[in-house]
Amino acid sequence: MTEARISFDLPVERGKVREFALAVGATDPVHFDVREAEARGLADALAPPTFTVTQAWQVTREEREEALGANLEYGRVLHGEQEFVYERLPVAGEVLTGAMRISADVTKPGKRGGAMRFVTYESRFSDSGGHLVLTAYYTLIQTSKDPGS
Amino acid sequence: MNPPAFVAEPGAVLPEITFGPLSRADIVRYAGASGDFNPIHIDEGYARATGAPTVFAMGMLPAGYLASALSSWLGGPEPLRRYKVRFTARVWPGDVIACTGRVAGVGDGVATLELEALRRGPGPDGLDVPDEEAAIVGVAELRLANPGDSAGRGEG
Repeated sequence: MTEARISFDLPVERGKVREFALAVGATDPVHFDVREAEARGLADALAPPTFTVTQAWQVTREEREEALGANLEYGRVLHGEQEFVYERLPVAGEVLTGAMRISADVTKPGKRGGAMRFVTYESRFSDSGGHLVLTAYYTLIQTSKDPGS
Repeated sequence: MNPPAFVAEPGAVLPEITFGPLSRADIVRYAGASGDFNPIHIDEGYARATGAPTVFAMGMLPAGYLASALSSWLGGPEPLRRYKVRFTARVWPGDVIACTGRVAGVGDGVATLELEALRRGPGPDGLDVPDEEAAIVGVAELRLANPGDSAGRGEG
């Protein structure tokens, strides 16, 4: 584990919420129609549950690697798991503050010999009042070096 | 939207909701929306050079479909407290994504759901894959509405 952190802003724009909702096949009008959102007690369109993956637009893989230094070999890295823990979902019009760090880095024996390394990037997103909105955990698996080819 | 069918009782089944068949354009659209431009998902030549028969979806695309199915089952995504997915198979162009789930437990105002997204299809030429397999295994936790809560749904 490391103490290194990356801080970044994640704007939750209404058009981006719409674009993302269409890309993931969401049909609930709460993502598209402000009047529907208001009728459900929200200030603006609601972001879909996986919306904060758009942080990839704010922090590139290269920036993340440089700042956090997991030293992964991306030719043999897979996205293994993803988790979100919510206080609430983001709402269009707000700008979240993200704080990313490596929260776990463990190596386990692989099923076919060799070692598998699991690296988890934790991103905590807070609102303008400093309240936690959600935490995302992005776990990459680095597989064993290919013994063959 | 259709009226929510969700019943927070252990064992209750969440009816299948399908997405797709997945097109390359769907993958590109998700790349733009998410900011994930890993060329293995969008560049045929790059994907082949890595040994894959063709491009395949980023895991968060079917995970996004599964979250949309969850939202449809619940009548909206607002009750979500936790959503966790594990990726178990690659999803190929032409695949249909079939989302299913069941209520695994209810207690302390929280319902736990077990979720699955299956990929269905012949898979790409030159790769031997089952016609149907789990692409995502997931779990979700929801806050249950309090009785009398105006946002509550379906309470007796």
